[in-house]
Amino acid sequence: MINIRNLSKHYGSHEVLKNISLSFDTGKVYGIVGENGAGKTTLFRCIAGLEEYQGEITAHHTPLKNHLGLLTTEPFFFAKITGAEYIRLLCNARNNPIADIDSKNIFELPLQQYASTYSTGMKKKLAITALLLQGNQYFILDEPFNGVDIQSNIILTEIIHQLKALQKTVIISSHIFSTLSDTCDEIHLLSHGIFTDTVQKDNFALLESKMKAVTIGNKIEKFGLR
Amino acid sequence: MQQTHYSFNTNGLKDYFLLQYQITTRKCKDAGVEPIVAYIVAAIAFVGFSMYLFTKTSFAAPVYLLVALSITGKFSDSKRNDFLKLSFGDRKHKTIRLTENFLLVTPFVIFLLAKQQFIPALALIVLAPLLALFNFNTTLSYTLPTPFYKKPFEFAAGFRNTFYLLAGAGVLTGIAIAVGNFNLGVFALLLVFAITLGYYTQPENEYYVWIHALTSRQFLFSKIKTALLHSTYLALPVALALVIVYPQHFIILLLFWLAGCAFLIFIILSKYAAYPDELNMTQAILLCLCISFPPLLLVLLPYLFYRAQNRLSSLLK
Repeated sequence: MINIRNLSKHYGSHEVLKNISLSFDTGKVYGIVGENGAGKTTLFRCIAGLEEYQGEITAHHTPLKNHLGLLTTEPFFFAKITGAEYIRLLCNARNNPIADIDSKNIFELPLQQYASTYSTGMKKKLAITALLLQGNQYFILDEPFNGVDIQSNIILTEIIHQLKALQKTVIISSHIFSTLSDTCDEIHLLSHGIFTDTVQKDNFALLESKMKAVTIGNKIEKFGLR
Repeated sequence: MQQTHYSFNTNGLKDYFLLQYQITTRKCKDAGVEPIVAYIVAAIAFVGFSMYLFTKTSFAAPVYLLVALSITGKFSDSKRNDFLKLSFGDRKHKTIRLTENFLLVTPFVIFLLAKQQFIPALALIVLAPLLALFNFNTTLSYTLPTPFYKKPFEFAAGFRNTFYLLAGAGVLTGIAIAVGNFNLGVFALLLVFAITLGYYTQPENEYYVWIHALTSRQFLFSKIKTALLHSTYLALPVALALVIVYPQHFIILLLFWLAGCAFLIFIILSKYAAYPDELNMTQAILLCLCISFPPLLLVLLPYLFYRAQNRLSSLLK
C-alpha cells in the first residue's frame, strides 16, 4: 500500500501538484490519466523519491524506492551495454542477481546486442523485463504500452493481471484508454495538479465518453476539415 | 541565384563553428571559469603534457600520434555525422569534418615540428584528413565481449570504448620489455589507470543511481570496490610482466600501482561530489595538485567522500 497525504510540488512559483491525497492499495491496478503537463510524471517522480516535495508519502515496504519498479516514459540506455547487461545492472542494484537471464526473456529480445541499438518498443520491453526481474512490490509504469507492438501489448496486459494476482500495487499512466480499461481497477483523472475524478471499473465507459465530450467538444467542427 | 545559395551555406559553416565556440565557452562558464583562463590553462597543460611525454620515453612520437588520432576519431561517430550530413549536405559535411580534424591536429603537428619529428608530423597531416572521410559506426550489431559483463556498467562500456587503447598499453609493455626501458613500462601501467579514470568522468543519468537499494555510503564503497577489482584485471598483466622482467623495481611498481588506485578512488569520489553536475574546474585543479603532490590525497579523499555522500543522499536512502 502507498499512502499520499497533502502532496504538493512547486517548480519555482509554478505549483505542479496541489495538495494531493490518495491511497494505492495492495493487489490493485490504478490508472492515472490527464493531459500533457497535468502533473503525472511529477507525481511519479515524487512517489519514487526523485523529487523533493511537501507532504507525506508512506508505504508498507520501506524505503519505498527500494521496492519500486519505475518505468519512465523514455528509458535511458548507456551506449555499449547489451540487453542482458542492462537487466543484470538493474537486478544487481536491488541485490537480486539473476542467474539465467535468457530463460526470463519473455519478449524474446536480442539480449546480446547493445541496448542502444534497440527500437523504441524493444527498449521499453527491455526496461519492463528488468523491472519485473527486480522482484519489486510496487510498480509505476509511465506509458508502458507506447511504441510496443500488439503481440507484446497482449503479453504486457497479462503480466499486469498476474502482478495484481501476486498482490503487487501497480500504477499505470497511458494515453490509450483501452489499455487502461483492460488492466485497471480504478482510474484517477489528474488535471492541473489535482485529482478531479476517480472512477471504478464499472464506470470506465462513462469516463471515456465524458472525457471525449470534454476534450473534443466542437473543436473538430470549428477546425473545418475538408 | 546560385551565388546566394553558396553564400547561405558558407554562413551555415561559419555559424556551425561559431556555435561550437559558444558551446565550449558556455561549458567553461558553467564550470565557473572564465573562458580565456580555461583556454590558457588548456594550452599550458597541452604543452606540459607533450614535453613530459617526450622527456620520459623515446617512443613518445608514436604515442603522441596515437593520442592525436584517437581524439579526431571521437568526431567520426556515425550518429553525429548523420546529423551533420542531414543539416549541411554531403559537401559541406566533408568541409566541416576536414576543418575540425585540421584544427584538432594542428597543435600536435606544431609540437612535432618543433621537436623535429618530421615523419610523425607528416603522418598526422595525411591521416587526420583521411579519418575525416570515414564514419565509425558506434551502433555495430557486433558486440565486443567484455570480462566485466557481470558487473555493468562503467568497465563494461568503458572497455568496449577503449579496447584499442588498452591493447596499445599492452604493446607498449612488450616494447618496454624488448628494449629494456623500465620507464616506458611504468608509463604503460599508468596509461591503463588513466584509461580507467576516463570511465568515471561523466555523471550517469540519475535513474542509475536511484535504482540502487543502498545508502549513499554503501553505494560509494560498492563503486570503489568494483573499480579497484576491475582495474586490477586490466593492470595486472602489465604489472606482472614488468615484475617478472624487473623484479628489482617491485617496490617502485607497487607504489605506482597504489597511486593509480588512489587516483581512481579520487575520480570516483570527485564525480559523485559534483553529481549530478559534471566534474568542474575545482576538481580539475585538485587533481592537478594531487598529481604534483600525491600525499594531498590523504586529506582530499575523506573530504570528497563526505561531499559525495551528501550529494547522493537525496537519491539514496
